[in-house]
Amino acid sequence: MTLHVLFVVADVTYALPVENILQMESFMGATRVPGTRDYVIGVATVRGKVVPVIDLRLRFGLPAVPPTLDTRLIVTEVGGRVIALLVDSAREVVPLDPSQNQPAPEMVGERSAGLVRGMHAQGPRLLLLLDLPKVLSERAYDHDPIAFLDDETQHRPALPG
Amino acid sequence: MTAPPDLKDFLSSFLVEAEEHVALANEELLALESAQRKGEHHPRAIRSIFRSLHTLKGLSAMVGIEPIVSIAHRMETFLREFERSGAMVPLGATDTLLKGVQAIAQTIATLSRGEEPAAPPPELVRELDALDWGPGAQGRRAEASLELEPALREKLTDFELVQLAKGVAAGQRALLAEFFPSPEKSAQGLSINAVRERVAKVAEIVRVLPRSVPTSPEAPGGLSFALILLTSTNDALVAEAVGVGPDRLQKLHGELTHEDPTTEAALDTALPLDEEPEAQTMGLRRGIVRVDVNRLDEAMEGLSALIVTRFRLARSVAALAARGVNTRELSDVVADNARQLRDLRAAIVRVRMVPVADVLDRIPLLVRGLQRATNRRVRIELEGGGAELDKSVSERLFPVIVHLVRNAVDHAIESPDERNRRGKPEEGLLRITCGARSNTRLELTVSDDGRGIDRKAVARKAGRPVPEDDAGLLDLLCIPGLSTRDVATTTSGRGMGMEIVKRIVTDELGGELALRTEFGIGTTFTLRVPLTISIVDAFAFECAGQRFVVPVATVDEIIEVDGTQLVKVPAAEDGSVEVEVLLRRGSAIPLVKLARLFRMRAGTPAQKAIVVRRGGAPIAFAVDRMLGQQEVVIRPMNDALIRAPGVSGATDLGDGRPTLVLDLVALSTTFSLPARAQELRP
Repeated sequence: MTLHVLFVVADVTYALPVENILQMESFMGATRVPGTRDYVIGVATVRGKVVPVIDLRLRFGLPAVPPTLDTRLIVTEVGGRVIALLVDSAREVVPLDPSQNQPAPEMVGERSAGLVRGMHAQGPRLLLLLDLPKVLSERAYDHDPIAFLDDETQHRPALPG
Repeated sequence: MTAPPDLKDFLSSFLVEAEEHVALANEELLALESAQRKGEHHPRAIRSIFRSLHTLKGLSAMVGIEPIVSIAHRMETFLREFERSGAMVPLGATDTLLKGVQAIAQTIATLSRGEEPAAPPPELVRELDALDWGPGAQGRRAEASLELEPALREKLTDFELVQLAKGVAAGQRALLAEFFPSPEKSAQGLSINAVRERVAKVAEIVRVLPRSVPTSPEAPGGLSFALILLTSTNDALVAEAVGVGPDRLQKLHGELTHEDPTTEAALDTALPLDEEPEAQTMGLRRGIVRVDVNRLDEAMEGLSALIVTRFRLARSVAALAARGVNTRELSDVVADNARQLRDLRAAIVRVRMVPVADVLDRIPLLVRGLQRATNRRVRIELEGGGAELDKSVSERLFPVIVHLVRNAVDHAIESPDERNRRGKPEEGLLRITCGARSNTRLELTVSDDGRGIDRKAVARKAGRPVPEDDAGLLDLLCIPGLSTRDVATTTSGRGMGMEIVKRIVTDELGGELALRTEFGIGTTFTLRVPLTISIVDAFAFECAGQRFVVPVATVDEIIEVDGTQLVKVPAAEDGSVEVEVLLRRGSAIPLVKLARLFRMRAGTPAQKAIVVRRGGAPIAFAVDRMLGQQEVVIRPMNDALIRAPGVSGATDLGDGRPTLVLDLVALSTTFSLPARAQELRP
């Protein structure tokens, strides 16, 4: 069993293994960096380091929403990079059995431009497993950013769950 | 004589040196005290304290800091007895001496703030005067009977004073003769060297001191040599040797009525205090130069300017190459230049490094004071200190260590009774270790064997759930305003809380802070900080509601933007940006709106413009308003997601949020100006 943090973006619940997570905090704002990608809403100071803040809504091609009391920053670490993810809310930590992971349905994988690496059925709930390295890499987005954006903005999420 | 123009320079180097001697005196006084407690003798410490005080007195007299002279002189006179008699300094006296050193330290602090120092507190003076002189008291000796004018006495080393006193005690006469050189005398072969030779035959020359005197017929050069002599021959012979009348000799001692045996004994054991008397008084140590850190900053600034010039040079070379000119040789030179600049930068950075021991050495004194105030007994173990770190890091680190040490002694280590009950040794242990973890980071731990931190109590106090681990506990401890004690204590009740510790370590220094604590067993704080930080002087400004900073070194000037003087040049088809042109001292400067460049929504119209040079040509960036100038620590923004043209890093202006550091020169190379902008006149 691996502990996962569950978080919600646009009413869809995603899971990330805790070993990728440094900490979670309330969102106190980020300093905009001109000339960076739109989904990088700025930088924040985390443990003395200046780290990028990615708005996952924008990363998924959804419109941004104003932060609420539930809005959280999930500070992730992968491959030595520290990056904060802005999510609508993050409340649960649950153990998941990796052997129960299923491949993402083709439709989901396609629509998320490969940002979801699989899914996990937890009782009646379906959790999407975020492919963190791809979320953080620029290439996943770069190869055809416009197509990706258009696709996502036109179809509001009709993801299972 | 007029005051030397470099008095200010001298004062700053005086302060540096005086601080060093204060630190040394403190350290040795503590060593002396701990020896005293064990009933042991520590003559080396006494000698060292004596020397530091003596040097402090001499240096202070040179710059005319009377309060220090007065305190140091009293302490020095007191210690001299013990230094010479070899008797043990009474325990109570050490405390008074520490107070005296404290008062000197305060005076130095006052001076370094540029304020006029106050006279020493009268109660301290009384206490110093009332010190128990111990067994050497009668030996207040022949030296006291020397009648030397203070200006001369200051110039003499202790060895020379002893030599004089000894000579007088042995029945010789101490004399002062004055030789005024003049062209006539040197025509007669009477130079100071000739005088020396002649005098040496009839007297023992203790010291020859050149002095500047008012110009007079007797002293046409405005110069005299004061010869301080010991002699058994009659005055007439000596006077003749110097070339003056016998009435011009000045006797330097009163009549000794009797031979005081204790004086003799004391003098016989007197040793030369200074192996290199001159060097000691002047504070020179072979091969070591003390430098005001501001001068290093100046050097660094000069270097920054060189680096900017180098970038311009490299760009010019690139432009030449683009025009098809063969620049191979030129490029080699530029590359060499770059390498040399890097080496030079590394050399200056190395000069700024100070041993971390400078910080740690101050801890024992702090702990001593805390022990008294809190009734704790604490043993200190210091380990490491060989590592070196940037002066500015060390300065920021010191208050952090002070806070952690205070917490340990005040909150963590239990009272001796309580420790007895818990089966711990009465004396608490405070351990500070320090070492370089790599070429770039220093790891410092402060640990105690005290009561540990009670997670539940902290959580209750903070009104939060009980943290699961030490990291969570540390987060709670760093909540602003949280103190685990309800009653403010004299030692830790004031000053900064853990949140400041965390702020300095993580935000200001870009380091890490960690905690390990076991309830009832002890607590360890671990700090990892970079050995150097990149600090620059920067202008802060606001643009479209967002704050930015730009290093001062890159800015040519800051000008007012007057709307009426501007001429708009639209963006051209070639992808150039829209500019306006403003007239500055007869020449046209292209003005780019930073807000537009950054695609930010501009609110108020720009009032100011920051001018930088792009390949030698000025270019102005319009911003909303300037917010002032300050020193900032630049933290890198390394992640590919946030690397952006013209953004060289981030800093914290004090609000805990990153503020971007802009490189406007680099930014100006990312766009091109409409060709027409170069020709237009407003």
